[in-house]
Amino acid sequence: MAVTAERFEQGLTYEAYKAQMTRNKERLEENETTVDIDPAAVDAFQRLAQPLNVLVIAEDWCGDVIANLPVLGRLAEQTDKLNVRVFLRDQNLDLMNMYLNQGQFQSIPVFAFFDADFNPIAHLIERPATVTETMDRKRAEIFARNPDFGPPDQSPAEMSEDVRTRFMQEFVLARTETRPFSNSEVQREFREIAEQAAR
Amino acid sequence: MAVKPVKVTITYCAACGYDPQALALAGALMREFVYDISTIELVPWDEGSFDVAISGRLVHSMLREGGFPEHATIIGAVREQLQPA
Repeated sequence: MAVTAERFEQGLTYEAYKAQMTRNKERLEENETTVDIDPAAVDAFQRLAQPLNVLVIAEDWCGDVIANLPVLGRLAEQTDKLNVRVFLRDQNLDLMNMYLNQGQFQSIPVFAFFDADFNPIAHLIERPATVTETMDRKRAEIFARNPDFGPPDQSPAEMSEDVRTRFMQEFVLARTETRPFSNSEVQREFREIAEQAAR
Repeated sequence: MAVKPVKVTITYCAACGYDPQALALAGALMREFVYDISTIELVPWDEGSFDVAISGRLVHSMLREGGFPEHATIIGAVREQLQPA
Protein backbone atom coordinates (compact mmCIF):
# COMPACT_ATOMS: atom_id res chain seq x y z
CA MET A 1 0.00 0.00 0.00
CA ALA A 2 1.25 3.46 -0.86
CA VAL A 3 0.40 6.78 0.73
CA THR A 4 -1.58 8.88 -1.74
CA ALA A 5 -2.12 12.61 -1.79
CA GLU A 6 -5.79 12.02 -0.96
CA ARG A 7 -4.97 9.89 2.09
CA PHE A 8 -2.29 12.34 3.20
CA GLU A 9 -4.67 15.28 3.10
CA GLN A 10 -7.00 13.48 5.49
CA GLY A 11 -4.49 14.12 8.26
CA LEU A 12 -4.50 17.01 10.69
CA THR A 13 -2.30 20.02 10.24
CA TYR A 14 0.17 20.53 13.06
CA GLU A 15 -1.97 23.31 14.52
CA ALA A 16 -5.16 21.22 14.20
CA TYR A 17 -3.41 18.33 15.93
CA LYS A 18 -2.44 20.57 18.81
CA ALA A 19 -5.96 21.97 19.04
CA GLN A 20 -7.49 18.52 19.50
CA MET A 21 -5.01 17.36 22.16
CA THR A 22 -6.67 16.43 25.43
CA ARG A 23 -3.49 16.01 27.46
CA ASN A 24 0.17 17.06 27.49
CA LYS A 25 -0.44 20.06 25.25
CA GLU A 26 1.37 22.34 27.72
CA ARG A 27 4.41 20.03 27.70
CA LEU A 28 4.43 19.89 23.90
CA GLU A 29 4.24 23.67 23.65
CA GLU A 30 6.95 24.08 26.26
CA ASN A 31 9.21 21.82 24.20
CA GLU A 32 8.27 23.81 21.11
CA THR A 33 9.33 27.02 22.84
CA THR A 34 12.55 25.76 24.39
CA VAL A 35 14.07 23.64 21.61
CA ASP A 36 17.22 25.17 20.12
CA ILE A 37 16.77 24.99 16.38
CA ASP A 38 19.91 24.06 14.47
CA PRO A 39 20.63 26.55 11.66
CA ALA A 40 22.11 23.68 9.61
CA ALA A 41 18.78 21.84 9.70
CA VAL A 42 16.90 24.99 8.70
CA ASP A 43 19.36 25.56 5.88
CA ALA A 44 19.02 21.98 4.59
CA PHE A 45 15.26 22.33 4.26
CA GLN A 46 15.37 25.85 2.87
CA ARG A 47 17.63 24.67 0.07
CA LEU A 48 14.97 22.26 -1.19
CA ALA A 49 13.32 23.28 -4.44
CA GLN A 50 9.96 21.92 -3.31
CA PRO A 51 8.43 21.28 0.10
CA LEU A 52 8.42 17.76 1.46
CA ASN A 53 5.29 16.04 2.69
CA VAL A 54 5.66 14.64 6.20
CA LEU A 55 3.20 12.07 7.47
CA VAL A 56 3.27 11.90 11.25
CA ILE A 57 1.61 9.21 13.35
CA ALA A 58 1.08 10.35 16.92
CA GLU A 59 -0.99 10.20 20.11
CA ASP A 60 -0.97 12.78 22.88
CA TRP A 61 -0.14 10.29 25.66
CA CYS A 62 3.23 9.37 24.09
CA GLY A 63 6.36 10.91 25.61
CA ASP A 64 8.37 10.65 22.41
CA VAL A 65 5.60 12.44 20.50
CA ILE A 66 5.52 15.23 23.06
CA ALA A 67 9.33 15.53 22.84
CA ASN A 68 9.94 15.15 19.11
CA LEU A 69 6.89 16.42 17.23
CA PRO A 70 7.48 20.06 18.31
CA VAL A 71 10.97 19.87 16.80
CA LEU A 72 9.36 19.14 13.44
CA GLY A 73 6.76 21.81 14.11
CA ARG A 74 9.41 24.46 14.65
CA LEU A 75 11.35 23.42 11.55
CA ALA A 76 8.13 23.53 9.50
CA GLU A 77 7.38 26.99 10.81
CA GLN A 78 10.87 28.33 10.12
CA THR A 79 11.46 26.81 6.71
CA ASP A 80 8.06 26.70 5.01
CA LYS A 81 9.35 23.52 3.32
CA LEU A 82 7.50 20.94 5.36
CA ASN A 83 3.91 20.09 4.65
CA VAL A 84 2.93 18.24 7.83
CA ARG A 85 -0.12 16.03 8.36
CA VAL A 86 -0.66 14.24 11.65
CA PHE A 87 -2.69 11.05 12.03
CA LEU A 88 -3.85 9.60 15.34
CA ARG A 89 -2.40 6.14 15.60
CA ASP A 90 -5.39 4.30 16.99
CA GLN A 91 -7.73 5.70 14.33
CA ASN A 92 -5.38 5.07 11.42
CA LEU A 93 -4.11 1.54 11.75
CA ASP A 94 -3.79 1.20 7.97
CA LEU A 95 -0.99 3.77 8.13
CA MET A 96 0.45 2.48 11.40
CA ASN A 97 0.78 -1.01 9.98
CA MET A 98 2.95 0.39 7.17
CA TYR A 99 5.52 1.61 9.69
CA LEU A 100 5.71 -1.03 12.41
CA ASN A 101 8.85 -0.84 14.52
CA GLN A 102 10.88 -4.02 13.90
CA GLY A 103 7.88 -5.25 11.92
CA GLN A 104 5.74 -5.75 15.02
CA PHE A 105 5.50 -2.78 17.38
CA GLN A 106 3.15 0.18 16.91
CA SER A 107 5.80 2.61 18.13
CA ILE A 108 5.21 6.31 17.72
CA PRO A 109 5.92 8.93 16.64
CA VAL A 110 6.43 7.98 13.03
CA PHE A 111 7.81 10.71 10.74
CA ALA A 112 7.52 9.55 7.12
CA PHE A 113 8.94 11.94 4.52
CA PHE A 114 7.73 12.04 0.90
CA ASP A 115 8.59 14.18 -2.08
CA ALA A 116 5.96 16.30 -3.85
CA ASP A 117 4.80 13.24 -5.83
CA PHE A 118 4.54 11.09 -2.69
CA ASN A 119 7.57 9.01 -3.45
CA PRO A 120 8.91 7.90 -0.06
CA ILE A 121 12.27 9.37 0.99
CA ALA A 122 12.89 8.07 4.51
CA HIS A 123 11.22 7.69 7.86
CA LEU A 124 12.09 7.92 11.53
CA ILE A 125 10.30 5.85 14.15
CA GLU A 126 10.12 6.87 17.79
CA ARG A 127 13.54 8.53 18.24
CA PRO A 128 17.09 8.34 16.89
CA ALA A 129 19.00 5.20 17.86
CA THR A 130 21.70 7.39 19.43
CA VAL A 131 19.14 8.71 21.92
CA THR A 132 18.03 5.21 22.86
CA GLU A 133 21.67 4.21 23.35
CA THR A 134 22.32 7.25 25.54
CA MET A 135 19.31 6.52 27.73
CA ASP A 136 20.35 2.88 28.03
CA ARG A 137 23.78 4.01 29.19
CA LYS A 138 22.31 6.47 31.70
CA ARG A 139 20.01 3.74 33.00
CA ALA A 140 23.03 1.50 33.58
CA GLU A 141 24.81 4.37 35.35
CA ILE A 142 21.85 4.82 37.72
CA PHE A 143 22.08 1.18 38.74
CA ALA A 144 25.87 1.42 39.09
CA ARG A 145 25.51 4.42 41.43
CA ASN A 146 22.86 2.65 43.48
CA PRO A 147 23.89 -0.94 44.16
CA ASP A 148 20.92 -1.31 46.52
CA PHE A 149 18.61 -1.01 43.49
CA GLY A 150 19.57 -4.58 42.58
CA PRO A 151 20.51 -5.93 39.15
CA PRO A 152 19.89 -3.56 36.22
CA ASP A 153 18.10 -6.20 34.19
CA GLN A 154 15.41 -6.78 36.78
CA SER A 155 11.84 -5.95 35.92
CA PRO A 156 10.25 -2.92 37.62
CA ALA A 157 7.54 -5.37 38.74
CA GLU A 158 10.19 -7.04 40.90
CA MET A 159 11.50 -3.82 42.47
CA SER A 160 10.34 -2.63 45.86
CA GLU A 161 8.16 0.44 45.92
CA ASP A 162 10.99 2.48 47.43
CA VAL A 163 13.45 1.41 44.69
CA ARG A 164 10.90 2.08 41.96
CA THR A 165 10.29 5.58 43.27
CA ARG A 166 13.98 6.42 43.64
CA PHE A 167 14.87 4.90 40.27
CA MET A 168 12.13 6.81 38.47
CA GLN A 169 13.26 10.11 40.05
CA GLU A 170 16.77 9.57 38.71
CA PHE A 171 15.51 8.31 35.36
CA VAL A 172 13.30 11.36 34.79
CA LEU A 173 16.26 13.60 35.70
CA ALA A 174 18.48 11.72 33.22
CA ARG A 175 15.88 12.12 30.51
CA THR A 176 15.61 15.85 31.20
CA GLU A 177 19.41 16.15 30.98
CA THR A 178 19.34 14.25 27.69
CA ARG A 179 16.70 16.51 26.14
CA PRO A 180 19.11 18.96 24.39
CA PHE A 181 21.09 16.04 22.93
CA SER A 182 17.86 14.37 21.84
CA ASN A 183 16.59 17.56 20.18
CA SER A 184 19.90 17.90 18.38
CA GLU A 185 19.86 14.27 17.20
CA VAL A 186 16.27 14.51 15.95
CA GLN A 187 17.28 17.57 13.93
CA ARG A 188 20.34 15.75 12.61
CA GLU A 189 18.13 12.91 11.36
CA PHE A 190 15.68 15.38 9.78
CA ARG A 191 18.56 17.31 8.21
CA GLU A 192 20.00 14.12 6.70
CA ILE A 193 16.59 13.31 5.22
CA ALA A 194 16.45 16.79 3.69
CA GLU A 195 19.95 16.29 2.25
CA GLN A 196 18.86 12.90 0.88
CA ALA A 197 15.82 14.52 -0.75
CA ALA A 198 18.02 17.16 -2.37
CA ARG A 199 20.20 14.58 -4.16
CA MET B 1 -4.45 -25.19 55.50
CA ALA B 2 -3.29 -21.59 55.34
CA VAL B 3 -3.54 -19.74 52.05
CA LYS B 4 -0.81 -17.23 51.41
CA PRO B 5 -1.92 -13.73 50.39
CA VAL B 6 -1.31 -13.18 46.69
CA LYS B 7 -0.36 -9.78 45.30
CA VAL B 8 -0.32 -9.12 41.57
CA THR B 9 1.83 -6.25 40.31
CA ILE B 10 1.19 -4.97 36.79
CA THR B 11 3.88 -2.58 35.61
CA TYR B 12 2.92 -0.82 32.39
CA CYS B 13 4.58 1.81 30.23
CA ALA B 14 2.39 4.86 30.74
CA ALA B 15 4.35 6.79 28.11
CA CYS B 16 3.48 4.05 25.58
CA GLY B 17 -0.25 4.22 26.31
CA TYR B 18 -0.52 0.73 27.76
CA ASP B 19 -3.13 1.88 30.29
CA PRO B 20 -6.02 0.03 28.56
CA GLN B 21 -4.14 -3.29 28.57
CA ALA B 22 -3.22 -2.86 32.25
CA LEU B 23 -6.80 -2.04 33.20
CA ALA B 24 -8.14 -4.94 31.10
CA LEU B 25 -5.84 -7.40 32.85
CA ALA B 26 -6.67 -5.98 36.29
CA GLY B 27 -10.37 -6.25 35.44
CA ALA B 28 -10.00 -9.86 34.30
CA LEU B 29 -8.24 -10.72 37.58
CA MET B 30 -10.89 -8.92 39.64
CA ARG B 31 -13.70 -10.79 37.91
CA GLU B 32 -11.96 -14.14 38.12
CA PHE B 33 -10.76 -14.04 41.71
CA VAL B 34 -13.05 -11.47 43.36
CA TYR B 35 -11.43 -11.13 46.86
CA ASP B 36 -9.07 -14.11 46.68
CA ILE B 37 -6.24 -11.81 45.55
CA SER B 38 -5.04 -9.62 48.41
CA THR B 39 -3.79 -6.77 46.20
CA ILE B 40 -3.71 -5.81 42.54
CA GLU B 41 -1.06 -3.15 42.10
CA LEU B 42 -0.86 -0.96 38.98
CA VAL B 43 2.55 0.66 38.51
CA PRO B 44 2.86 3.37 35.85
CA TRP B 45 6.31 3.00 34.32
CA ASP B 46 8.28 3.81 31.21
CA GLU B 47 10.79 1.99 29.00
CA GLY B 48 8.19 0.13 26.93
CA SER B 49 7.44 -2.28 29.73
CA PHE B 50 4.43 -4.45 30.45
CA ASP B 51 5.44 -6.78 33.24
CA VAL B 52 3.44 -8.86 35.66
CA ALA B 53 4.71 -10.24 38.96
CA ILE B 54 2.80 -12.46 41.35
CA SER B 55 3.92 -11.95 44.93
CA GLY B 56 7.28 -10.70 43.68
CA ARG B 57 7.83 -13.48 41.11
CA LEU B 58 7.98 -12.24 37.53
CA VAL B 59 5.57 -14.23 35.37
CA HIS B 60 5.49 -12.02 32.27
CA SER B 61 7.92 -9.49 30.87
CA MET B 62 7.28 -7.69 27.61
CA LEU B 63 11.03 -7.49 27.09
CA ARG B 64 11.50 -11.22 27.77
CA GLU B 65 8.39 -12.78 26.23
CA GLY B 66 7.41 -9.98 23.84
CA GLY B 67 3.93 -8.51 23.65
CA PHE B 68 1.16 -8.53 26.20
CA PRO B 69 0.32 -11.62 28.24
CA GLU B 70 -2.74 -13.72 27.61
CA HIS B 71 -5.17 -13.14 30.46
CA ALA B 72 -5.61 -16.91 30.79
CA THR B 73 -1.87 -17.33 31.36
CA ILE B 74 -1.82 -14.83 34.22
CA ILE B 75 -5.03 -16.23 35.70
CA GLY B 76 -3.48 -19.70 35.62
CA ALA B 77 -0.33 -18.47 37.33
CA VAL B 78 -2.37 -16.75 40.06
CA ARG B 79 -4.48 -19.86 40.56
CA GLU B 80 -1.29 -21.90 40.99
CA GLN B 81 -0.05 -19.43 43.60
CA LEU B 82 -3.34 -19.61 45.47
CA GLN B 83 -3.03 -23.37 45.97
CA PRO B 84 -2.40 -24.16 49.63
CA ALA B 85 1.18 -25.24 50.28
